[in-house]
Order: sequence, then C-alpha cells, then structure tokens
Amino acid sequence: MTVTLEEDAITLRGVCGVEEVEDLVGYMERRPDLPVDLGAATTIHTALWQALMVFKPVVSGTPASPFAAGQVLPALHSYLDENRGEQT
Amino acid sequence: MDELIAQFAIEARELVQQASEDLLSLEGNPAGRERLESAFRAFHTLKGSASLFEFGPMLRVLHRAEDLLSQARAGKILVDADLIEPLFAVIAWVDDSIDGISQAGRLPEAQERQAARLLGLLSAEPAGPDIDATGDSPASISDWAAALQQRVAASDHDETVVAIRYEPHPECFFNGDDPLATMARLPAIRHLSLSLRQPAPAPGTYDPFRSNLLIEAVSAGSLADVDAVFRLIPDQVKLVPISGAAGGAMPATVSDNASVRPGSTLRVNSARIERLIEIAGELVIAKNGLAPLADDARNHGNGPLARQIAASHAEIERLVASLYSAVTRARMIPLEYTFRRFPRLVRETSSKVGKAVDLVIEGETVEADREIVENLFEPLLHLIRNGLDHGIETEADRLRQSKPARGRIVLRTCQRGDQIEIEVSDDGRGMDPQRVKATAIARGLLTEGQATTLSQREILQFAFVPGFSTAASVTDLSGRGVGLDVVQRSIQGLGGTLDLQSTVGFGTTFKLRLPVSFSMAQLMVVKVGGERYGIPISDVVETQKLPMRAIQPVKSGCAFVLRNRTIPLLRLSDLLSLPSSEAPSDDLKVLIVRSGAELIGVAVDAIAERAETLTRPLTGVLKGVPGIAGTTLLGDGKVLLVLDLEELIQ
Repeated sequence: MTVTLEEDAITLRGVCGVEEVEDLVGYMERRPDLPVDLGAATTIHTALWQALMVFKPVVSGTPASPFAAGQVLPALHSYLDENRGEQT
Repeated sequence: MDELIAQFAIEARELVQQASEDLLSLEGNPAGRERLESAFRAFHTLKGSASLFEFGPMLRVLHRAEDLLSQARAGKILVDADLIEPLFAVIAWVDDSIDGISQAGRLPEAQERQAARLLGLLSAEPAGPDIDATGDSPASISDWAAALQQRVAASDHDETVVAIRYEPHPECFFNGDDPLATMARLPAIRHLSLSLRQPAPAPGTYDPFRSNLLIEAVSAGSLADVDAVFRLIPDQVKLVPISGAAGGAMPATVSDNASVRPGSTLRVNSARIERLIEIAGELVIAKNGLAPLADDARNHGNGPLARQIAASHAEIERLVASLYSAVTRARMIPLEYTFRRFPRLVRETSSKVGKAVDLVIEGETVEADREIVENLFEPLLHLIRNGLDHGIETEADRLRQSKPARGRIVLRTCQRGDQIEIEVSDDGRGMDPQRVKATAIARGLLTEGQATTLSQREILQFAFVPGFSTAASVTDLSGRGVGLDVVQRSIQGLGGTLDLQSTVGFGTTFKLRLPVSFSMAQLMVVKVGGERYGIPISDVVETQKLPMRAIQPVKSGCAFVLRNRTIPLLRLSDLLSLPSSEAPSDDLKVLIVRSGAELIGVAVDAIAERAETLTRPLTGVLKGVPGIAGTTLLGDGKVLLVLDLEELIQ
C-alpha cells in the first residue's frame, strides 16, 4: 500500500509504481477536497504524475528523488498554476 | 561507350553501395560518427563525379543530399528517419540511373522525372537545405524549440544545448515505459515542463493507463548523449540542438582527401584476366606434349635425354599449375560483392509488403569465380523475395504462432572443398506438401496414384517444374512470371544444383551448391564412330563392361540389369546421330550416368584416357547447339567437343 487514503490527505509512500495509479485516481475522484502528499514518496511513476495533472489536487510535500524534487515537481506546480483556473 | 562514362558508372556503383551501407548502419545506430562521415564522403564524391557530366538534375539532388549530411555532421540536424529515408530514396534513384547513363550517356527520362519529387523530399527537412555554414538563426528551428531556447536563454548564454520534445506513446505504460524516469537519465537538465496533449477528459472517463503527456526539456549535454537516452524510442522524440549566443560548435571539417583511400587493389579490365587464364590454360595443355617427347627419346635409345625431358616436364608442370591457380585466383571475388546489395533491397521490399524482416548474412567472405558471384545475384534475389513474399507471415500471424514479430531471412555461405554451399532460409510459414501435391495433380503433373508413393520431400521438388506456382495470387514482387524453375536453370547454368527443404510452420530453406570456379575439369575421353568426345567425369557415376548377352531388348529400346536394377541403355552414336559403329565386339563399354533421379547406360565404342582441361563454354553461333557443353584443347592440339550428356539424353 504505497498510495493510501488518510483522514486529511491522500498519501504516496516509497516507490510508487504504475500499478498504484488506479488507487490514486479512485481516491482523487472520491475526495477531490483532499490534498495529495508526496513527502514520503521516493520515486513516482509518470502515470501518477499525469493523474495529478488531470485531477489538479492541491499537492504538498517533496518526494525524495532529486529529479522528482528538482525538476518534475516544479514542472507540475507550474502546470497546475497555469491551468487551475480552468477547473470546472 | 565513352571511357569517362564507363568510369563514372563503375565508381558510382561503388559509392552507391558505400552510401547505402553507411545509411543502413546509421539507421541502426544514429550516433555512429564514422558512418556519418563515410556517408558524407560517398555523397560528396558522387556529386563530384556527377559534376563532370550533364546529368540534368542529378547534381542538384546530390548537392542537397550532401548539404543535409553536412548539417548532420555539424550537429545541426538529427540523424533520424527524417534524414535517412530521403537519402535512401536518392541512393535508390542514383542506382536506378546508372544503367541508363552507361547506355545513353545521359540521365534516363524516367529518373529525370523523379528528380523534383526527390528535391521535395530532401527539402522537407526542418532546417533549410541550402544553409551552408555557421550560425543558426532561431527562425530556422521549430517554434517549440525556439520557445524553449527563450526559457533558458536568460540564464545560460554561451552553452550549446539540446531542445527536447518527447511525446510518449499512448500505450507506453503498458510497455513498461516510465517516460519521466527516462528523462531523469538525461545529462545536465536545464529545464523541464509538462503538459497534456489533449485537454483533460470529463470526470469518470479518464484512463490512467494511457499516456497523454507532452514533455519538453532542455539539456546541456551533447546531442549524442541526449540521443543515446532515447535510443529505443526515436519516433517519440524530437531533438534540436541550439547553439549558444557565443557562436556554438563549429562544424567538424573532414578533409576531402579522406575519400582518396590508398588502396591495395588494382582495377584491371576483366578481358585481360580472361586472356591470361586462356594462355595459362593453353600452357597446361602444351606441357602435356613433353611426355610423348620423353617417350620418343627413350624409344630412340636416348635414355639421358628422356630423363632430362621428363625432369623439365615435371618442373614445368609444377610452374604451370601454380601459374594457373594464381590467374584463376585473380578472378575470384568474395561473395560479399553480390551479397551486399541485398540489405537495401530487403529493406525496401519489406517495407513495401509491410513485413518487418531481418536479413542475416553469414560467410560473405567466401570467394568464388567472378562470373559465378555476379550471376548469383538474380537467382538469390528471387529466392530472397520469394521468402519475403510467400514465406514470411504478417506480423499479426507470426505473433499468433508465438513467433518473433520480425521475420528472419538467413543467407549463409560456406565452402566445402571446391564447392560453395549457399543457403537461403526463412522462418516463415513453410511450403505445404499437401498444397504442392494438390497443385501438381491439378496441373496434370502427377496422378493421385503416383502421389501416394512420393515422399514429402519429393513432392516439394515439383515447385521447380516450369509453370508451377502455389501462390494464390500473383504479386508484384516475386510473382512476375519468374518461377523457381528459372532460378534452378540459372543455377544449373553455373554448374550448380538447387535443393529445397521446407517444414510447415517453420520455414523454407533453399540450398545451392556451386563450383568455386570454372577451373580445371576432369574429362573422360570416349571414342564413338571414329571420333573422340569429352565427358565431364562428374557426370559419370561409373563405367561398366557388359557382355552383349546381358543386353535385353525392351520394346524399341534396350536395357540391362545392374545390381538388381533395370537400366535403360542408349548408344552415344544414336544420340549424336553418327553412323553406328561396326559389328559390336563381345563386350560393350557403358557409362552409367545420372539423368534426374534415373540411372541411364550410355554405350560407347571405347573409353580412352582421362584429361584435366579447361572447358570453355561455346560462344557465338555454336552457343545454342544442344548437348554440347563446350570445347577444350587436347595435348596434341586437337579440339575436343565436351558433351552434356543429360541434355543429349533428353
């Protein structure tokens, strides 16, 4: 269980592979109000990043992998910043 | 033919070959610097040669092609399918033109008409084809790359960077791809941005397993390093190198001298080699005259002279033999000469029929006589096309049978004594003996009854019968009215044999056996009707002396029994329409020869000596005379006709 639904957040932990994406999408669909916390994740599969771009939750925390933290997360934030207005 | 044009044709063929090998290699390994340089040199030299003549648009086409390669060398454009495909088209076009040029001295009209299309193909490149040298303006690169350049420009002024646009395949997650993990392997990332290619779908319809991403990035690594990261997915990625404000990388220069390679080979008109072989062949025969001379001397009681003659006979014999083998070697060329034309043709053909096929070539360094090697091209091409067209299944069919998606055609050669063995095998569907049998029966080549007595292997041999084709439809590829019978005939014409094996579901193998050269052949000299004829010993299974009473008349002919087998008997004098010899003596000399699967006895008047000679094929008017394989000179200076028994018997 690397993607879990907790009381106050959807949490990603450790290595999050492509097989986790259905859980993540399910939780985001059920609880669009919850933030997604990446703080405990080490690496995150592209499919999960894409799901975050599609569902545009509030994203908190910084994953451990330097590339994810230094490049992908900023890219996600800037995508979310530019596109959040379009959310229905 | 104009000497210069002839020279151009020879050189152009070699350059076309070189260029297509380089392009094939670059296709597999776009980072291959040496191949890129070599391809550039080939196009450059080709352009130089063409510029000596008035070949209409050829010079322009080659000029543009060379320009593109020069930009690729400078790292301004990528070595990818967009570059290689048009270059292949140019090479094929030049190749097609050479024959016409050497005949007419000008570019054939058919090729001239295609020039505009080629120029169009070549200029469809992202960078303008006429940019010759330094300095890229942002206008010459794609908008997206320019936008990316803007993003990094503020911070990094003088770096040369690579702009990357990566659209992962929608199904890539299923293939185990993790596009961002791939990006993480990039050297020196200066910028990364993510976006969705299509707007986010309505809630509830999102398929999280389909990639909808567009990833753009800038890397300060070298183009080659960046390219290496995307080695496996070149179709999903666009790379554009952007030079920094401080000038960027200067294109590496290659000295034109590099194309002049000091060679250890000398081009000699083949007619001169031909003449040398002829003289060497005549020497072989002339030296045979020394043996009777020694006998003469001995008969005249001059023993010492006889011994001296015999000694120099032996010495001359040794020298002549090595001279003969040396000049024969001069005609030997590696099979590679013919084989290397196949990869490009297979590539073209396989894309035409929409099948992915790998051609594996083994043993191309084996050498054989030039005439054999050159004449192998057509038959081998036919067999390879046959495999591609009828053998290899479509990708979907192959996957259904748990075969690798890519078909495989293997062209394997090895030398066995003075023969070469060439195998052309495919891993396709194989030939179904049932289907071959049904067709053979339908064509009236076989009765149901006969069919039951034949082995599967024997049934398959019907594929070589003229007019036989199991292909349900005639395709533009291998069904051009040229059947396997024609292939077999041309192999036989080279003194070889063609054999077929096939297993349904596993593929078909054609096995060719050919002589290494038309070198010395062992002849058996026979007498009939007062004349002497040569018969290649390879045609003779054995010789028999038969008493007349062993011959039994059968209907209008004769036969005899040999080791419990009834063998029909023919008389050579009848076959040659010579007056039949005088009253037959008590014994009959019979050559047992093979005709197809049958043994046949051929009666002659006498069997004389054996001779090792060079048989020359008949030329001119005599060429078409059936039953005569050629002529040879005997030691006494007489011309001996060499018979083709199999043809005579038919």
